[in-house]
Amino acid sequence: MRLYEFEASGLFTRKGIPVPRNAVVTSPQEAREKAEEIGLPVMLKAQVLTGGRGFAGAVQAAESLDQVERGTESLLGSSVRGLPVQQVMVAQKVDVTKELYLGITVDGYRGTPIAIVSFEGGVSVNQLVMEQPKSVATRPVSIRKGLHLTEAREMCLKVGMEGHEVTQVASMLTALYRVFESYDCLVAEINPLARTTQGKYLGLDAKVEIDDSSLYRHTDLNLDVEGRIDNPRERKGREIGVAYVELDGDIGLIASGAGLGMASVDIIKQKMQPANFLETGGGITAELLYNAMDLVMQKEGLRAVFINIYGGINPIHEGAKGVGEYIKEHNVSIPVVAKALGNRQEETWEIFREHGVQVVTDISTEKAVEYLAGLLEGAA
Amino acid sequence: MSILLNRETKVLIQGITGRVGQSQTRWMLEYGTNIVAGVTPGKGGRMVEDIPVYNTIAEAVAEQGAEASVFFVPPQGVKEAAIQTIDAGIKLIVVITEHVPVHDVMEIREYATDSDVQIVGPTSPGIITVGEAKMGIMPGNMFNPGRIGLISRSGSLSYEVSVNLAIAGFGQSTVVGIGADPVVFTNIPDLLHLFEEDPDTDLVVLVGEVGGVQEEEAAEYIKKSITKPVVAYIAGLNAPQEKRMGHAGAIIQGDGRGTAQSKVSALQEAGVEVAQFPVEVVRLVQKRLTAS
Repeated sequence: MRLYEFEASGLFTRKGIPVPRNAVVTSPQEAREKAEEIGLPVMLKAQVLTGGRGFAGAVQAAESLDQVERGTESLLGSSVRGLPVQQVMVAQKVDVTKELYLGITVDGYRGTPIAIVSFEGGVSVNQLVMEQPKSVATRPVSIRKGLHLTEAREMCLKVGMEGHEVTQVASMLTALYRVFESYDCLVAEINPLARTTQGKYLGLDAKVEIDDSSLYRHTDLNLDVEGRIDNPRERKGREIGVAYVELDGDIGLIASGAGLGMASVDIIKQKMQPANFLETGGGITAELLYNAMDLVMQKEGLRAVFINIYGGINPIHEGAKGVGEYIKEHNVSIPVVAKALGNRQEETWEIFREHGVQVVTDISTEKAVEYLAGLLEGAA
Repeated sequence: MSILLNRETKVLIQGITGRVGQSQTRWMLEYGTNIVAGVTPGKGGRMVEDIPVYNTIAEAVAEQGAEASVFFVPPQGVKEAAIQTIDAGIKLIVVITEHVPVHDVMEIREYATDSDVQIVGPTSPGIITVGEAKMGIMPGNMFNPGRIGLISRSGSLSYEVSVNLAIAGFGQSTVVGIGADPVVFTNIPDLLHLFEEDPDTDLVVLVGEVGGVQEEEAAEYIKKSITKPVVAYIAGLNAPQEKRMGHAGAIIQGDGRGTAQSKVSALQEAGVEVAQFPVEVVRLVQKRLTAS
């Protein structure tokens, strides 16, 4: 789960990484008050969960309190890369002489944390690795031993830092590692880390992503998990216990596995446009598929629903009852096509058919989708 | 004799007294798996499906000679259980558990580097050596015995591909679901190596999906070290960026890393034929097996 900048910045402060004085606000009036406390000039930063805010006009400087109010007002009504702005961070504006990059992330393939230092900041570090490899140092970290100051110093020296700078940046990197370690991060990034005209170092932007599977041990952070999902249907998916991702089309999808769901999207896309990706995982019940139908049907302009499920760990005959009940209660009039294989498949087919679901007994998803396409062409 | 698992392997079930552990134990026994013991702390002395239950792994190893273990352990308990299991000298661990914290996975993986244990998962559907034994939750009737090795990041797609292969008259030696988390214990090249050495495997089918670099690393490894034919399918050609597609590891990053296209071209460059859709795997397998 990605954190808002102000949340990530709060974690930085807890672990000893200095950041500019800041406050998060939800109204222009509040922004004015906070800017007065912090002192002008300030930066106004839209709090949205996407990168590249600088290029998207979501970060502005304000020299006067009137500018603070006007700027906050325009940001709060706007959206950045499709995400509505509901909160704005007011932060002290600092004079910067140099920007650097510090990051700790997970090397998924080697299975270790990896520390990254770059002498150039403010841009994508992957881009830097390609364009100026000498200005970037990376180092795998032993998760059992942690990142030591001497290792951090070596990395700083390697990218060309000198003297006092090495000590300061290296201790900042070990502090960032403590954030990563303490909060089960997948990513902890300071980009940019700024050297001010006074020779101080401050984290100007904070990016933190916490591993969803570890949230149970970070309840003290009081993070609103569902609240940060903007799409109401994606939020609903999380609530009912399925993975739902909205797509542009008009063919609804329910699949009983992530791989099968992705493959179904790809196959539908050949001739039609999928409306969503939905994956139930291994916990199918009548109620879950009733809720899944309800969720998929909320998208407007749907032409059909395709159900693709396997009965391994899942009781698909129970799932079929949920779908049937939904169809009956809501008088669903668009075609619902199902491919259901595995344990108790015949019983499942019968329940589906009783409720007007068209069952495809062929074993390949391709054939089932072809049947669905034929059905819609015939109807058109 | 296939890889990792056969009908002789003495299997231990951790979390055998839980609802899922118990019902899956029954399916595994029915399939022919040589289950010798179960472990649930505090429930030693019971019997589940006529299998003796112990309080500790060390006891199960000492009394029954267990050499491999399946985990139906809750996510919070996986780290502790894995360390104890490694210390008890178990050589093969299959972690079925979903939602294990990534930092715990990294810690177990680092701990395991000092011993010769092979750990598969987490979020794995399991391992099945077709016609002999299975350690996991995959439905046994999806697989025919044969000479194809199958490696999959997704459980459901391993079924889809296997059923289609079965109908066309093909079967598998061993099927391994590596799991779909951002960090897994066994990477694809580790398994490619085992299949390359296995006299009962003629061809490997690789089922991948968006996210991470498993398939790209596999492509590099195939170029260098694999002589047997490999056929692949990658799911998620139409997955949007920055959205988790069900699996924790199935995400294309905002900067475009982890796309299906990147995996398809890396594999093609390594001489792997990549199916556009699951059913096309069958045609490519047919082609490669008759050509060689």
